Parts: sequence; C-alpha cells; structure tokens
Amino acid sequence: MSNAEKTLHPEEKFKAGKLAGSFTKTGAGLAVAFGLISVLLGMSQGDHWKRFFFAYVTAWSFVLSLAIGALFFVMLHHLVRARWSTVLRRLAEIMASTFPVLAVAGLGILIPLLAGYGDLYYWAHHDAHNHTINHHLISKLGWWLNPSYFAIRYVIYFAIYIALARTFIKKSREQDESGDPELSNRMRVLSAPLMIVFSFNTVFISFDVLMSLAPKWYSTIFGVNFFGGANIAFFAALILISLVVQRSGRLTRAITTEHYHDLGKWLFAWTFFWAYTAFSQFMLIWYANLPEETIFYKYRMFSEWQWVTIAVAVGHFAFPFVFLLSRWTKRILPSLSFFAVWQLVFHWVDLYWNVMPNYHWEKTQVDGQTVFSGPMMGDPIMHSVGFSPVDVTMWLALAGVFLFAVGRSMTGNLIAIKDPHLPSSLSFENY
Amino acid sequence: MDKHNPHDETAHSEPAEQPNGELYGVLAEFDTPGELIEAARKVRDAGYTEFDCYSPFPVHGIDEAMGIKRTILPLLVFGGGFTGLLLGLLLQWWTNAYDWPWLISGKPIWSLPANIPIGFETTILLSVFTTFFGMWILNRLPQVWHPFFRLDRFARVTDDAFLLGIEARDGKFKAESTSELLKNAGAIAVESCYLDPRPESRTVPKWIYAVIITTGVMALIPFAIIAKARASTSSEPHYHIFGDMDFQPKVKSDATFELFGDSRGNRGVIAGTLARGSLNADDTFYRGLSRAGDGNPSWLAELPASLEVDMKLLERGRERYDIYCAPCHGYDGRGEGAIPRRVKTLGGVWLARNLVDPQGAVAKMPNGQLFNTISNGFNTMMGYAAQIPHRDRWAIVLYVRALQRAQNAGPQDVPADCRNEVR
Repeated sequence: MSNAEKTLHPEEKFKAGKLAGSFTKTGAGLAVAFGLISVLLGMSQGDHWKRFFFAYVTAWSFVLSLAIGALFFVMLHHLVRARWSTVLRRLAEIMASTFPVLAVAGLGILIPLLAGYGDLYYWAHHDAHNHTINHHLISKLGWWLNPSYFAIRYVIYFAIYIALARTFIKKSREQDESGDPELSNRMRVLSAPLMIVFSFNTVFISFDVLMSLAPKWYSTIFGVNFFGGANIAFFAALILISLVVQRSGRLTRAITTEHYHDLGKWLFAWTFFWAYTAFSQFMLIWYANLPEETIFYKYRMFSEWQWVTIAVAVGHFAFPFVFLLSRWTKRILPSLSFFAVWQLVFHWVDLYWNVMPNYHWEKTQVDGQTVFSGPMMGDPIMHSVGFSPVDVTMWLALAGVFLFAVGRSMTGNLIAIKDPHLPSSLSFENY
Repeated sequence: MDKHNPHDETAHSEPAEQPNGELYGVLAEFDTPGELIEAARKVRDAGYTEFDCYSPFPVHGIDEAMGIKRTILPLLVFGGGFTGLLLGLLLQWWTNAYDWPWLISGKPIWSLPANIPIGFETTILLSVFTTFFGMWILNRLPQVWHPFFRLDRFARVTDDAFLLGIEARDGKFKAESTSELLKNAGAIAVESCYLDPRPESRTVPKWIYAVIITTGVMALIPFAIIAKARASTSSEPHYHIFGDMDFQPKVKSDATFELFGDSRGNRGVIAGTLARGSLNADDTFYRGLSRAGDGNPSWLAELPASLEVDMKLLERGRERYDIYCAPCHGYDGRGEGAIPRRVKTLGGVWLARNLVDPQGAVAKMPNGQLFNTISNGFNTMMGYAAQIPHRDRWAIVLYVRALQRAQNAGPQDVPADCRNEVR
C-alpha cells in the first residue's frame, strides 16, 4: 500500500559532519572577502559612508528575514501539528539558530548610531526633531526614534528571537535523544502564545529597521509585507539548502520530490501573500491621496525608480506567480531551484526598493540649523537610482555571514530522528 | 467479514417483483480502503477500463491505482480565472471610461490601481464557477439515477461500504471470469446487477420535462417585459411592484399639502417655541454684540466676559485656524494660503484678505465683528457657523489677534533681558 508509514532508511546519512565545516568556510570566506571590498568601496564613495550603511541595512534585513522566516516555519509546524514538514524542520531550526550571529552583525549599524552617526537614520540627527524647521511629526516621534531607545529595543528584539529559537531547538534536540512524544505536545502548546510574541516582534523590528528610514512616512501593513517577503526568502533558501544537503549525500532518501513540491507551494503562496499586502499598502495610500504618504510612491513611480518598481512587481510577483501555478514547475527540481534563486534575488531587490530611495535625503544649513529635504521630506526631487557596486558586495558579505552562522549551528542530526511524525513525513505524498 | 455480507456471495439481492433485464455489470465489496486500492490496481492491470470505485470518503491513491489520468480541471480553472480578470477589467473600462466617463476624486478615467480589486474578485468568481461547474461536467453530474441503485448493497456506499463495479459493456467483461477476478482480488461479496427490463424505467418522466420547460419560459417573462418597455412608449403609468414604497403616507419638505388652509406642507416655527439647544440668549457670546451704554447693539470690542482666556484657548484657536482659515488666509494670516497660491499658478485670482496688515480692515475691526464674519461670512467668504462651534470661533478671534501681534512684532516686543540673543 502506497501510504504505508516508513521509517528512516538504515543507510541514510543524517549527521551534519563535515558539511558544517564547508558552510562555515564558504560563509566566512564570502563575508571576509566581500566585507573588505565593501569597506573599500564604501570609503571611496566620498559620502561619509552613507551609501555603505544604506547597503548594510538592505543586506542585513535580507539575512534577518531568512532567520525570521525559518523561526516562523518551525513555530507554525508545531502550532498546526504539521506532519509532512517533519523531515525539513531541523534544517529550518538550524536556519533559525542564526539569530545570535545576526544580532552581532547588526551591531555594525547600531554602534555607529549610538556613536552619533546620523547619516543613515536621519531621525538620529538632533536637529531632525526641531519643530519649527523640520516636520513636526518627527519631533513628535522623538520619544520613540532616538538612538538610545532604538538600542534598547534592538536588545529586546533579539532577546526574544533568540529565546524563541532556543526554546524550540532545545526541545527538538532533546527529542532526538529521548524520543519522548510529550515534547512535541509541549512545543505545540507553547507555539500558540509565542506566535503572538513573534508577530509583534517581527512587525516592530521591521518598523524600526526599515520603515524608520523614512520617519515621516508610515504604513501599518508594512510589517506584514516584510513578513511575507521574509517567508518567500526563507522557503527559497530552504529549498536551496535542502538541495545542498542532499548533494552532499545526506538525507537523500528522506527528502523527496513530494517535500519539494510542498515547499514550492509555500513559495507560491507567500509570493501571492507578499503581493497582496504590497498592493494593499499601495492601493490605500494611492487612493487616500495624502501628501505625506503618497510621496513614498510618487518618488518610486515617477522618477527613474519606476523601473525598479516595475521590476519588483513583475519579477517578484507576476512572473513567478504565473509559472509557479503549475504542478510541474514545482516538482521538477531544476525549475524549482531556478525560482528559489530568482525569488531570493528579487526579495533583495524588494528590500533595496524599500531602503535605497531614502538615500537621497539632504541636509542643508539654514541659520545654523540643519534642515532636511529630499524624497521623504515632502520635496519630491527626482533623483536617479544611482546604483552602486557596494550594494551588491555588501549583500554577498552578509549572505556569507548567514552561511557561516548556518554552518556554526549545523551540528548533530540534520533530521528530527525521533519525532513521532517522522514516519508519516517520510511517506508523505501529494495526491 | 460476515457482518458486511448478509447475502450469499453469488445471490441476487433484488426483490421478486422487480424483473431482471440484461446484465449491467458486477459490483464487488471490499473490507477496507486499502483492499479497494489493491483490487482497483488488479482490475486495471487485467485490462478493464469501464469500471469505477465507490467509497464513503475520498481514498488517497485510488486515482493512480485505477489508472485515471490527471484531471484537466486546473487548466480549465486557469482559463476561467484569466477570463474573469479580463472581463472584470473590460467591465470597468467600458462602464467607467468609455460608455459613461465618470471622474472620481480626480483620478484618471481609466485607472488601473482602482480596478485591480474588482479584477481580483472577478478572477476568483469565474475560477470558482469553472471549478464547480467544470467538476460537474467532467464527472457527468448531475446524475439522478444509476443502474447500481437497484442493489441494496449500493446504498451503503455513503455509510461504510467500499465498492468496485465493472460494467458489462467493457470489452474484457465476461460474467464468470470477471466475478472470479474480483473474488481473487479479495472481495467479500460479488453481485451481478441487471437493468430494469421496462423501457419507461430508463427514461425521465414526461412531467419533469414539462416542469422544466414551464419554469424556463416563466423565467423569461420579466426580461420580455423589460425588452418591451425599452422598445416602446406608453401613456400608461409604469408598473408599481411595491405600492407602499412608491406611495408613502408622508409629506415631503416644500411640497403642497391640502390638509392645511395655506396648502403648505412646511409648517414653520410655532410661535413661542424653540428647538432644543438653540436658545443662545447671550447676545455677547453667541453674536458678538454689546448692549453697553444706550442699550442699542454694537460690536463687542473685547472678548466675552464668560470666556476664560488662557494659553489653552489660544492653542485651540491656532489648531482651528490652521484647519479652517489657513487654506485661504495662510498660516501667517497674510492671505497667501495654499488655495490662492495654487489658483495663481493656474492663471486665476483668488482673493483672501490679509488678516495681519496693521492698516487693514481686520486690525481695526472690533472682536465682535470678526466673530460675526467667521459666523456668517463676508463677500465671497462663506460662513463657518455650521462647522465651528461658538467657543472655537472666539478662540480663532483670539488667535488672529495673537497673529497680528506676532506678525508685526518689533524689538520692543522682546523682553529686555533677551534682546542680546536676537541679532
């Protein structure tokens, strides 16, 4: 009978072993090489490191979104008592264990901010809160947007993320030893309330890291949109990491086309979810037609940025949506991995589209006070996109940091060997 | 096993009064869904094509076991959804941009972002219709009758029976060997099913056709009436389907009403009465009038005594001023608000008085008159009595006075000990 429950094949290799080392080495190599190039490029920009830090935020929020997606996947797995995804859960847990390294990587933004560097987040400039000259909204947000409170929240966000990831990973590893099915139940009970904590954490970290780049502009769905993009990126990354793990001769029998098919469905579903929230944000702002909100889109739709906007709409949604609709594009691995790579690239383009237009704010001195003008200050000067190589090298460097972190947490088993649902996950089939 | 098998394995279950016609097929019962899948695989491998499995719930893997090709329904749904999207967009373009161009809040007549939600809905609508009706058509539904209904065993298919039926029209079918195959495949019972020999039992009764045709024709009547009304003229009054809605026992405002001597429906204010909350007896506060001196009304020069003048009132005045007055008079009161400036760029003229000119009329106006201007308007300026409550109007008066002071400030207005800080 086809739906008989299977057990792990006796010859299956499921220990991380040397694979961890190759992840760590590749990652560290990428991080060091491209990190150095980025520093040199950042220095040569001659804009007081501004471009460098904008590229840094883009790249860092990219890798952060991978870990956020992974943590969500693990929690969702427990929350709904999923069975099919059991063979993949450990890989997701490994990806979610990267939070401590990412927290350290984020210090590259936090420390300059605390040291008084105000060219990235212009609310960090003392004068930005000056009521009479700059927008009174920013001066009203001063209690929230100031470097020290930002740092406090940074610590809280990562404390929560790391605690959440630890909770689930520790219990999961414990089950590898004991095989106690009660652990699964306990994780399920925990996942429900913790999911609420996770949601708030994700929404607010996206507000702080990304949305506050344009402090005058706000959108309540922004966090949900970021979360959707994070899930696209995570499922794309999970597909690729699973393929790498299988290429190394591990889990070759455990992860089947059926699992890839379902990962493809998730990739498709989040692609649509992301587009739905992105359009909701656009639609309401466009229709309400409030100057301080529409400026966000006006700048992106009518300057040279319009080509990036079109690229995001077509590349991140329309093209993968139409092609991931069919069954075969998700079941044929070369096609699925093509879309995984494609969506990872476009997730970065999406973040770039969110972050980089804010680069063009300018400060001028009027009567000894700093006045901020530019795309986010109600003064729609149409700058060009102004692509810089540091944008890409920074991305590769942070991707290296992420791979390094994945390698670091890749220890022991790559599959939850004693999970009570493992047999039904191994025999999972799409009908 | 026996509990499923009240009959002898080869016995025919139909009652004696139902005569048997030709053989329709055989029906076999299996104990579990797993056995049904195995049996289906064996029947398929034996080369049968005209057979079907019946179960109380969907059995995973049965399609593959029976050798059924993947359904083309997803393709149909894609086509349906895409058609829905195009039709949705066409509908909006045709109604709003082509047949009856209608400008909505300054948006372009044909504006894609606004059309996407409706395009999304029509995509889903037609996808769902295609899914639902496509499934019916592909499954040849509705099927109100089937020859296997003659077997009592078949009734249990919605309960706990897992059945496999092979039809006699299959090329491979032979009464003996087919039953044998099913028994070898693990059937706990195999029954032959015969058609009813009476020809009328296989045709739909005539009265059902009559009902369907009559209903269909009657459903066309409203459309026929609409078509007639559109194509012809008539001096008769139109149909009143809801009489009590079209003829309500009430008098509309400004209409005639013969019950009263003057034939007017409006009855006016009854002498000696007031609407609730509209007394406003205090002329000073509500109208800005003063009756000091000879008792004749004149504009109040100061602010009403009942008003508590403090920073809070002034802040309130600033807030209300910025909302209601600044668009024309400007935030600084110089009459250069957003609207005059915009009209100027379009080549027109929009006059708004300079409120802070020390030689201007406003600076010389008593407070009461300023209050009255806000209430009832002046020249092309409309009255704001409906929008701004009395107290807020006084707050604005106060703020305008503060603006006049601030816009014409000189060094003497700076406190002596701060003068060195100002260049």
